[in-house]
Amino acid sequence: MSNNVLIFTERGEDGDVRASTAELFGVGGSLADELGGSLVAAIFGGETQAPVAHVAELGADRILTANDPALAEITVDGYSRALDAAIDAADPAIVLLSGTTAGRDLAAYAAAKRGAAHLVDAVHVSLEGDDVVVRRPVFQGKLQTEARARRDQIVFITVRSGSYSPLERQANRTVDAETLPVEINPDDLRVKVVELLESKAGSANLEAADVVVIGGRGLGEAQNFELAAKLAEAFDGAVGATRAVSDLGWRPHSDQVGQTGRTIAPKLYIGVGVSGAVQHTVGMRGSELVVAINRDPDAPIFKLADFGIVGDLFEVVPILTERVRQARSQ
Amino acid sequence: MNIAVLVKQVPDPNAVRFDARAGNILPGTSQVPNEYDLAAAEAAVRLAETFDGVEIVVATLGNARESLNRCLAMGVDRAVAIESPSDHLDSLATARILASWLKTGSFDLILTGQEASDGGTGNVAPQLAALLGLPIVSNVIGLEYQNSELTLKREIEDGHQVVTTRTPAVLSVLTALNEPRHPTLKGIMGARRKPTETVKPDVPAQELQPVQSWGSLFAEEQTIAGIMIQDEEPEAAVDKLMAFLEEHKLLES
Repeated sequence: MSNNVLIFTERGEDGDVRASTAELFGVGGSLADELGGSLVAAIFGGETQAPVAHVAELGADRILTANDPALAEITVDGYSRALDAAIDAADPAIVLLSGTTAGRDLAAYAAAKRGAAHLVDAVHVSLEGDDVVVRRPVFQGKLQTEARARRDQIVFITVRSGSYSPLERQANRTVDAETLPVEINPDDLRVKVVELLESKAGSANLEAADVVVIGGRGLGEAQNFELAAKLAEAFDGAVGATRAVSDLGWRPHSDQVGQTGRTIAPKLYIGVGVSGAVQHTVGMRGSELVVAINRDPDAPIFKLADFGIVGDLFEVVPILTERVRQARSQ
Repeated sequence: MNIAVLVKQVPDPNAVRFDARAGNILPGTSQVPNEYDLAAAEAAVRLAETFDGVEIVVATLGNARESLNRCLAMGVDRAVAIESPSDHLDSLATARILASWLKTGSFDLILTGQEASDGGTGNVAPQLAALLGLPIVSNVIGLEYQNSELTLKREIEDGHQVVTTRTPAVLSVLTALNEPRHPTLKGIMGARRKPTETVKPDVPAQELQPVQSWGSLFAEEQTIAGIMIQDEEPEAAVDKLMAFLEEHKLLES
């Protein structure tokens, strides 16, 4: 049985290690120690200086890079080739990836090619005998379960972003990167990336606001979003949306807080008609105080709430908005 | 153009209640078609309305008669129920069964939802792509088709990404793609006359051995002992919330 741990290092728009990937190095290092193996990081694409330095400071024992024009953008076709080469070189027992859109596609694709397990959405990873065990949310975050796979073959795991704290970077720790011989025929990229629209940079001040009001699907329809916006205005705060709401097209993607959106940590978070699906809550767990208003007493958001009102938001929110406005104008 | 739509029938996410003693959801929860999968069915029906010569087949693994009928009533042409050989299939075995059935047709487009609301691994679509040797585009929220070329808008972490690919391809879609139509009475009546076929999967037993397994379900530990206001008049509830906000100095301008 092999005993190494390979981390697929996903890079952000700035080319450096994505925050959700930086989180993997702590748990990856512990798993490698427990297995008696080493922690290997794979970094694909050009301009790897910054991410190579970064993963070295996060504790990678070995760094594998691959560069080819076909790796300029993350695609399943291109990156699965490079990942194959990294797996051949690192001989890992476990491959860790961030639970991003790219990470989940890549892991499932690579696992299926090998007849291997892909354990998704892990919020906790551990070893039990010959098994790898992950804890993961199911039923849209209402419940959890443990999924396990035997280590007699390679196991792919995608980790939910926000599940682990990033390690302190060890300044001046360096590792020489090895270059993998990866060549990709451009015709093998069957999916071509054309452009990125509506980048999340530059919209409302969600990250900076002291008070953020989030509107969820419980608002019922797009025009009712006004209720959340007015409450935010009464606090001089910002308004954002859940994934369900941006999925439905009620609000632009740039207003979305959560897994595929933005991460906020305000002094006060108010969820209006927010159920608390994990796709959203990963983006708001750093909030100091959480207030939730929802009709469903079983909504998971109440488990995170310092103050919850089970009730009709269409009655509660206008009254609250008026009272806050009065209180803050005095 | 031949389109396959893959649908899973799931416990109604709004009706799911936890049975702590059984470590499972309460039995008898009503079953509904997975919401993302209905968006996939709607996308297929819209293509059939736009282009001539489109045939749509909806397939499901296991007993999901209502979900198949719903898709037929939306405008899908025929339905296939693939018998489930085991109650303990993992996503890879599921993908292998679906792939073996998909290979019996010649599909230009395989459409499904991004993930199911119950197990929700999101594994099946990319696994199908790997098993069938097809391209995968996930998180689809916009779809245009012309002369075998697909232009797709996807939701990813950094915004909306536009990609192109050619058929045949596997697409997994999000609800932002469209609003699935409600079946009309005429559609529902028409669905009764559409063919529904039951097929047995043709996959060797050793390929259905699970590579992963799950334990029982449990509720997330309650981390916050917060204040809960229930069964109060709105004014009284807001009074208490205002006092709470005051106490935490959150009403200062």
